[in-house]
Amino acid sequence: MPSVQPLRFSSTESDVESEVAVITERPWNVIVWNDPVTPMTVVVVIFKRIFGYSNNKCTDLMLTVHHEGRAVVWSGQRERAESYCVKLQVAGLQATVERDA
Amino acid sequence: MPGKLFARRRDGRIEVRLNDAGRGAIREVFAHVLAAERDPEHEWHLSLNAPINPSSDDDDPLASLTRQNEIASNAELSIMTLKEQYLNDTEAWAWLSTLQVALRSTAVVNGLLSDEKLETCAPELLDDIRTMQQFLFELAACF
Repeated sequence: MPSVQPLRFSSTESDVESEVAVITERPWNVIVWNDPVTPMTVVVVIFKRIFGYSNNKCTDLMLTVHHEGRAVVWSGQRERAESYCVKLQVAGLQATVERDA
Repeated sequence: MPGKLFARRRDGRIEVRLNDAGRGAIREVFAHVLAAERDPEHEWHLSLNAPINPSSDDDDPLASLTRQNEIASNAELSIMTLKEQYLNDTEAWAWLSTLQVALRSTAVVNGLLSDEKLETCAPELLDDIRTMQQFLFELAACF
């Protein structure tokens, strides 16, 4: 009789240790920069499409970009940050990644 | 009051209500983006290849290639669907992305990096920018 694989793995001590190690690393931020030509509604639509954030969160981020010149729109692992940055650039926004200070 | 240029229908498709002149203007924009992605000498080429990680000497080549392919792919899909009366979601997203890439490239190559610069630019250039903004504004309202 074939053995049944568990659907959910229980946490082990090593899992917890590696999780702590990841958390203590400085994250990478995806930054979106302001420009004088992009319509505000377009920025909101792009954030919604790429990140799936709520309308309110997208509007808040767009306003931060507009008023402060830039906003951190996502933070986390470097590869994902670069992937999101590329998606934003493909959608025509000025975006970069930088390590959290 | 003029009618909408784009309208989301009940079946989810987006209706394009542009006349021939409007489609002609958009065709020119899409063609510029595709040419810029393929031709390193094109004036927009650098703006399409902005740094991903400015603190690094070189960006990951895979990320740069992905960006290049996706921008070109969006522009190609946009050109292929230029005559369509109805766009599906993917096609409309390609239009929006390609228009936005063109708008930002126009601003970058003309040094329009502030509101003051934008307000004092040549009238013909400002007309082009306002036209692209209008297309984008109305298309974004469908998402």
